[in-house]
Amino acid sequence: MRTAVVTAAIAAILIAVIFMGLGDPTGPNAFIIIGISQGAIYGLVGIGLVLVYKGARVFNFAQGEYGSMAAFIVYLFVEQWKTGLPYWVAALIAIVCVIILGLIMERIVVRPLMNAPRVTLLVATIAFALTLIGIQLLLFLPEAKSFPPIVQQLPGGGNGIEIFNFIIEPQRLLILAVLAALAGGLGYFFSRTDLGLAVLATSQDAFATRVVGIGVERMSRFIWGSAAFLGAVAGILYVPISGALTPGVMTSTILIPSFTGAVIGGMTSLPGAFVGGVVVGVIQALSNWAAGNQGVAETLFGGRLIQDILPGSPDVVLMLVLLLVLMIRPQGLLGKEA
Amino acid sequence: MGTATEAITAPIPATHDRWHPSTAGWVARLTVLVLIFGGVLWVTAIVPQYWADRISLAVIYCIIGLSLNVVLGYVGQVSLGHHAFVGIAAFVAAFYVTEQAGCTAELGCPFDHFLAGIGLGVLSGGVAALLLGLVALRIRGLYLALITLTYGFMAERSIFEIPSLTRGGAGMPAPRPDGILGLNFTSDRGFAFLTFVFLALVLFVDWRLLRSKVGRAILSIKHSEPVAASYGINVTAYKLLAFILSGMFAGLAGGLMAFRATTVVSNDFNFSIALLWVLMVVVGGLGNRTGVVVISAFFALFPFLPELWTAADRFVVDTLERSMSLVTIVFGALLALLTIIQFPGGFAEQVSPITRWLRGQKFSMHPEGEGGHSKGHDKSKSDKGGGLLAKLGLHRGEHDEPAEEADEPEGKN
Repeated sequence: MRTAVVTAAIAAILIAVIFMGLGDPTGPNAFIIIGISQGAIYGLVGIGLVLVYKGARVFNFAQGEYGSMAAFIVYLFVEQWKTGLPYWVAALIAIVCVIILGLIMERIVVRPLMNAPRVTLLVATIAFALTLIGIQLLLFLPEAKSFPPIVQQLPGGGNGIEIFNFIIEPQRLLILAVLAALAGGLGYFFSRTDLGLAVLATSQDAFATRVVGIGVERMSRFIWGSAAFLGAVAGILYVPISGALTPGVMTSTILIPSFTGAVIGGMTSLPGAFVGGVVVGVIQALSNWAAGNQGVAETLFGGRLIQDILPGSPDVVLMLVLLLVLMIRPQGLLGKEA
Repeated sequence: MGTATEAITAPIPATHDRWHPSTAGWVARLTVLVLIFGGVLWVTAIVPQYWADRISLAVIYCIIGLSLNVVLGYVGQVSLGHHAFVGIAAFVAAFYVTEQAGCTAELGCPFDHFLAGIGLGVLSGGVAALLLGLVALRIRGLYLALITLTYGFMAERSIFEIPSLTRGGAGMPAPRPDGILGLNFTSDRGFAFLTFVFLALVLFVDWRLLRSKVGRAILSIKHSEPVAASYGINVTAYKLLAFILSGMFAGLAGGLMAFRATTVVSNDFNFSIALLWVLMVVVGGLGNRTGVVVISAFFALFPFLPELWTAADRFVVDTLERSMSLVTIVFGALLALLTIIQFPGGFAEQVSPITRWLRGQKFSMHPEGEGGHSKGHDKSKSDKGGGLLAKLGLHRGEHDEPAEEADEPEGKN
């Protein structure tokens, strides 16, 4: 119920802002559309973060690197080795490899630390992420590589949908579709299926769960495997449109906004991760717009552009938003005290 | 910590059977210490200049390690944004000596300007930590880690890109200081010795502070915040204090880094290096000065080690070095994983028989039963309740308290 209300409220605010900006070519409308499509990626990574948090009560800093690894595997098959495999086959291979990677991580890193303090496990996920980044650096050197998206044209032809002078690439539409499907599926999974409930139970009280006959290790494997799956999907979908494939790309560009989005959403709520991700995307895009907008500059700073005074304002705003949410409403917009 | 808990768990000092090394034993220990510290200084004095430059980097890493150790080891919170403190201080120090004091590489830089630059670096590191700590320290554990990470990214993308502070990609110059007292600090070797002085200073401050009321309060917070609060310890204030101290150490390291490189470039302070710093403290042994210093130096020098046995030409060495710094990331991260999962005490615990022996105890693999310091430090206990706390990873309660001799710099591994 609250999910619907909050989502509707945010949608209403967005529509109202877009409506007010209609007819103003320097207005923020195009930026809002960019923000929503970028926010969808944050949501996709955020769902993986929330899944792990629900299941294991830890922030998984390796979530971004599942994506980078998957993207690099696809790159290997499609571009570097020129195997001639269809793109989707390479993507499937990459997803399977990354799921295995997630299971390996579960076995060698998470399992031994199951009863350790969460901060210890957090540092371990950081170490694991850094290992993956380092392996990518060694194998591919710190160079940017380009590689093509899965879909370059809409089914009926055309390079995308144009809204307010911003062309939404087909890949972004695909991301939105995948995200909606995943969010719905996971929501159903956690509220309606036995396995989903068992996962939730494990995260709340591992001992009691074991007493009623649920294999805690099996649940843990399941959680980290699915997190790796989600991360791999996000990486394969996003990296082609991000511009370049570099080692650690998902960690350095996507992970922090995704975390912020998930925290805004409440860290335990799957729809919350999606809503929060979109909110973060729009906030970033709007601060980008304000930073480079002459009108805003004249109103506030006597004609000096904000981006000349303080570069990187989206990151400053992002940090302030994160702090504000944690201070005022630590359970987030849609979080439950669970 | 003079708490009731400790009074109960502490082994009752049985003075009659407390073991003392013989005179010969003391001489042996002293000789080893002199050999270690003298050896480090001697190596610094004889190696080629470019190795002296690397040693100064190692010493700066030691200071960074000690800085993170305050947050991570003493307070038990994770800071993933330390490159922000280090970087801000480096830019502030460079900005001061270049823009305010008017130093250039040709004209040189008077030593007092250098000191002022370092001081401003320390101050800015402290202020940056204060500003972050004031808002962030209400938030604990995982969320604090997230905020520090965001803070680091914010600094990287925003503060380090301000053109007037950082001069864009070209970097802000920070010429090394003129010598005083007949010493030459513009050479790499002279500067390395200068960094040793600062490391000794940091070790001294860290050691004295940990022995004071403040230190005991901070350590008690790590063990249990509710218990500390119930003893009347202002938890937030002491956490903030520790945070500021850590920021100041980081600021000192940043200032030294600026003068070591002589040009500060924002690329030097990135997110993966901040993660590597965290991991090196974990590998060194949380809360253990000796372990952190040794392993920090090791991490700093690791990329250069292959050179020791490949006397190849310069080009090969350069290529090797570049890939070695990438190897450092993998190696360091794997080492940290291994430490967290298998050896929660880190390097410090592995060498603890040696450090205990140096402090005047028997050479023993088992800390328990070998209670008592023989040098009048009987009030402080080095190994607190190893059993349960040892299992708790980051919240372990081991704080080795090296004696005075152990507080000398140990820049070279």
